[in-house]
Amino acid sequence: MPTEAPAAAPTAPPIDAAGPPPGPEAPSAVAPALTPAELAEIEAALGADTEKQEAAGQVAKENPLSLPRPAAGSTAAAFLPDIAFILDFALAAFSDQDEQLQTGGHDPTRNGFNLQQLEMSIGKSVDPYFRFDANLVFSQFGVEVEEAYATTTSMPWGLQTRAGQMLTRFGRMNATHPHAWTFVDQPFYLGKVFGGEGNRGLGVELSWLTPLPWYVEVLVSGTEASGESTARSFGGAEGVAVESPLDFQNTVAVKQFFDLTDDWSLLWGLSAANGPNASGRDTRTDVFGTDLFVKWRPISSHEPSPMEVHLQAEALLRRRQAPEDVLTDAGGYAHLFWKLAQRWGVAGRYEYATPVQDAEGERVVDPLDPGQEGDRHRLAANVTFWPTEFSRLRLQGSADFPELRDDPILAAFLALEVVVGSHGAHLF
Amino acid sequence: MKNPLRFLFSLLLATLTIAGAPRLAAAELKVVATIPALAAIAKEVGGEDIAVESLALPTQDPHFVDAKPSLALALSKADLLVTVGLGLEVGWLPTLQVGSRNVKIMLGASGYLEAASLVSLLDAPERVDRADGDVHPGGNPHFWYDPRAAKAIAKGLAAKMGALEPGKKAAFDQRLAAFVAKLDAQTKAWSERLAKRRGAPVVAYHKSWTYLADWLGIQQVAFLEPKPGVPPNPGHVAQVLGIARAKNVKILLQESYYPDATAKLVAEKVGASVLFVPSGPDVRGGQGYFAWMEGIVGMLDKGAP
Repeated sequence: MPTEAPAAAPTAPPIDAAGPPPGPEAPSAVAPALTPAELAEIEAALGADTEKQEAAGQVAKENPLSLPRPAAGSTAAAFLPDIAFILDFALAAFSDQDEQLQTGGHDPTRNGFNLQQLEMSIGKSVDPYFRFDANLVFSQFGVEVEEAYATTTSMPWGLQTRAGQMLTRFGRMNATHPHAWTFVDQPFYLGKVFGGEGNRGLGVELSWLTPLPWYVEVLVSGTEASGESTARSFGGAEGVAVESPLDFQNTVAVKQFFDLTDDWSLLWGLSAANGPNASGRDTRTDVFGTDLFVKWRPISSHEPSPMEVHLQAEALLRRRQAPEDVLTDAGGYAHLFWKLAQRWGVAGRYEYATPVQDAEGERVVDPLDPGQEGDRHRLAANVTFWPTEFSRLRLQGSADFPELRDDPILAAFLALEVVVGSHGAHLF
Repeated sequence: MKNPLRFLFSLLLATLTIAGAPRLAAAELKVVATIPALAAIAKEVGGEDIAVESLALPTQDPHFVDAKPSLALALSKADLLVTVGLGLEVGWLPTLQVGSRNVKIMLGASGYLEAASLVSLLDAPERVDRADGDVHPGGNPHFWYDPRAAKAIAKGLAAKMGALEPGKKAAFDQRLAAFVAKLDAQTKAWSERLAKRRGAPVVAYHKSWTYLADWLGIQQVAFLEPKPGVPPNPGHVAQVLGIARAKNVKILLQESYYPDATAKLVAEKVGASVLFVPSGPDVRGGQGYFAWMEGIVGMLDKGAP
């Protein structure tokens, strides 16, 4: 058998063979530098070409925003974006179904079978400058564009922009989907602060990977401040009319990663969001957060081990201006996960939220969650079985202790998740 | 501070200058490979004209690398990314590429090279369905254990690195010629040394040895995984035991990162040895391509670890 590719193959690009010939090689940053005069010549020549094309009507025909023409035969399939479907389905039982306080939009919420979500995840390079990603969520009642955004892939200086409908990168968990979660449900305080669907909206994000010797990423974003289930501590269901950039929810975050050893990793984030709220005229909300993720996975060991352990925790502080008052509360969660074997893992989680206090430090009724005064603790534990990396079965139990109740709310979930289609890449 | 805005602006400008400076002053080509074997081949061709690192460790399963932000940081500084391809790195590399914000190493850019495009591939499945396990539609990606593939990859790398750094093309070509000469001689010597294994039946954990088996004429008669990516179960292991006994298997092969209990059990039952093969050289520890391959050949020669 031939042991080498044909002579012409080695430098040929692996894909896009039908595209324009790249020449001997595309210019690279390390190629010998050009003189300014040469650069000017190139620019002039390119400008002249563009003018000629415009005159000939070619540019109009190749308008990048025009819909792609259907390609003939089987090559059309090659341009299809990567598509995956993720089904989250659960059997649930609550000790008090009518009083359960689940806050996540994809949480099981009633006794019996629950369709948590059917997510369609789509992604592909748009062109050499953008990548497209979308997450469409199908429930039994309709379809929701959870995320649909473009990400730049060729900005200089470590910069990157995302634009469209997207989850904000506040903290660790908010920007992720149920497929990436260790637990079947969402931490309740995230639901109380941002809403059941997680903090998201139409907007723009600019992020910068700094040139420091360790990983430091800084990001700012401006997103719509409206939506009961996406920005409830901000504009919420009533929404806020946009008259200036201050009427958006503005989010800033710093994410740092430390490779302590090959086996130990630490990710630490600080986030803050500020935006208008709907409680009065010019009233605003601040949310501050910090998140920590510590992971041990013995990849450098010569003794093979499927084990891994991680600790994930987030704490948030919320300050809401109300007419002639400021409401403050805080909360968060911490979970510990232990992968015992290739197919088995166990996890435990503790969650807490403080009562809401006014400017004088007195406990008050939360206008967003009336009837839930006082503090709240919730404990949960689960066991996961992975038949393969494309499916998992989880059994989870939890006990919820809101201060107002004498007895806890107990819940049990048996959840199945399956993934079909292209293999999506995981975030750390 | 009279004018804080002005101060902030100059601070930003200074940082951007620092950010841009290393790229202009880069003395050596920065090569990042996804697995250590590719990094070692790149080092053979690049020598001291390149800095090379591997994202995965030799002790790590390249199917399941964590997309650590530190790996994105390494990619952000790379001039050339060398991947296996065929979906081996699909679970982690795309996130890192986008996160690196490095236009040079994106899919289709001049600093992106898929080794799979350079070698002749085996095992392309006739049917692409995950009922058959974690299949790779384009073919079996574990080609780096075959020195004939290493030769093709080295040639492709020399061409690519020469194109990225034309001033050093002659040096790359010279090192390539030396590597190919040594590799040809070694390949012949290794084949002769292992001629006694021609036709030998082996049991493997994962279907990782197709190319090695094709080169040496070894037969992979059974796999401990019932399907690629699915861990062994008792019923299947019993079947494998039966096959191993019937075919008189003396060698079990598996990468050192797979769990070892099942292989040890089967080996004990049939009177065979398990060879725990390092999936790549210890590049950080200074081990090169030949030292690593010599280790594998030595194991196969002795028939013992």
